[in-house]
Amino acid sequence: MKRKGLMILCLMWVAAWLSGCAITEPAKKVPYRLSPQGTVIWEDEFEFRPPPLDWKLLRVEVGENDISFGFTRSDPGGFPSVTAFAYDEDPFGCTAASFEGREREFFKRFLFNAILQFQILERKRVQVVGGEGLAVIVEGKDPVKKEKVRAKVVFGKRGDRIVGFYITQWRPMDGSYDLSAFEVFDKFVASFKFLKKSFYETL
Amino acid sequence: MEGHQRNLYLYDRFNARVLGASRDDVITLKYFAKSLELTFPLLSNVTAFMGAYFDIQPEGKPIFGRRTVIIDKTGVVRYVRDGSPDFKDILLFLKKLNQEGGKP
Repeated sequence: MKRKGLMILCLMWVAAWLSGCAITEPAKKVPYRLSPQGTVIWEDEFEFRPPPLDWKLLRVEVGENDISFGFTRSDPGGFPSVTAFAYDEDPFGCTAASFEGREREFFKRFLFNAILQFQILERKRVQVVGGEGLAVIVEGKDPVKKEKVRAKVVFGKRGDRIVGFYITQWRPMDGSYDLSAFEVFDKFVASFKFLKKSFYETL
Repeated sequence: MEGHQRNLYLYDRFNARVLGASRDDVITLKYFAKSLELTFPLLSNVTAFMGAYFDIQPEGKPIFGRRTVIIDKTGVVRYVRDGSPDFKDILLFLKKLNQEGGKP
């Protein structure tokens, strides 16, 4: 009986010792690399100038198996002081023919889980990803939660399809916006390039 | 659904047509299609026989499970995937099927 107890103790010790062994983890693959010029090459498909280091990479799965990516930053001030911007291969909506049509569809769904009263502050034609695009700046207010958001959406074209860039900056209702974040976003959008044809263009 | 609507021009290219089916009534589906500006047909199957046919009827629930099915021109089910549609996978499959001559 004593011998059996000793054996169990030994087995337990061996198990504890083995569980302490370091397991070599395979190197984590990242979807991007830096070019000698300091730009980011994302999955050999997109190239852009990254924002300053206080912006964290944000990778979200949107729509249905479509991946977009972006960056986020916590801002000083009370909840919900945060800014995020992203590139979206398939922004909300279906109308491929006109930016205005897509804008109307997009804002039906944009930030739909926050019940906001949106007001368009500015709408203008812009040059983006080597072609014509549409930039819309809006402000949304939630008088119940006493929160507000300033957002800029830029629609551009990739082949036949409309793609989007957007930035949202949340603030408490009495907070003030930090417009320098929008300058960072504008630089990101201006530097954005497609390095190859999209999946849809190759079909 | 918006994803399918965005891809209609590609489905046309591959001689494919898309239909949606759910257990909602016609009025609900009309409203749904209008709100999303969908132009392809949505089928209302309140009695749920399609759920039994395609094996997507969860027991005791008044909804269909989410499943994408591709049927070729001879009526043979060639592709079945559960969950959110993988549009790139669907398009590649339709392209292949069209090249085979087995137009969906």
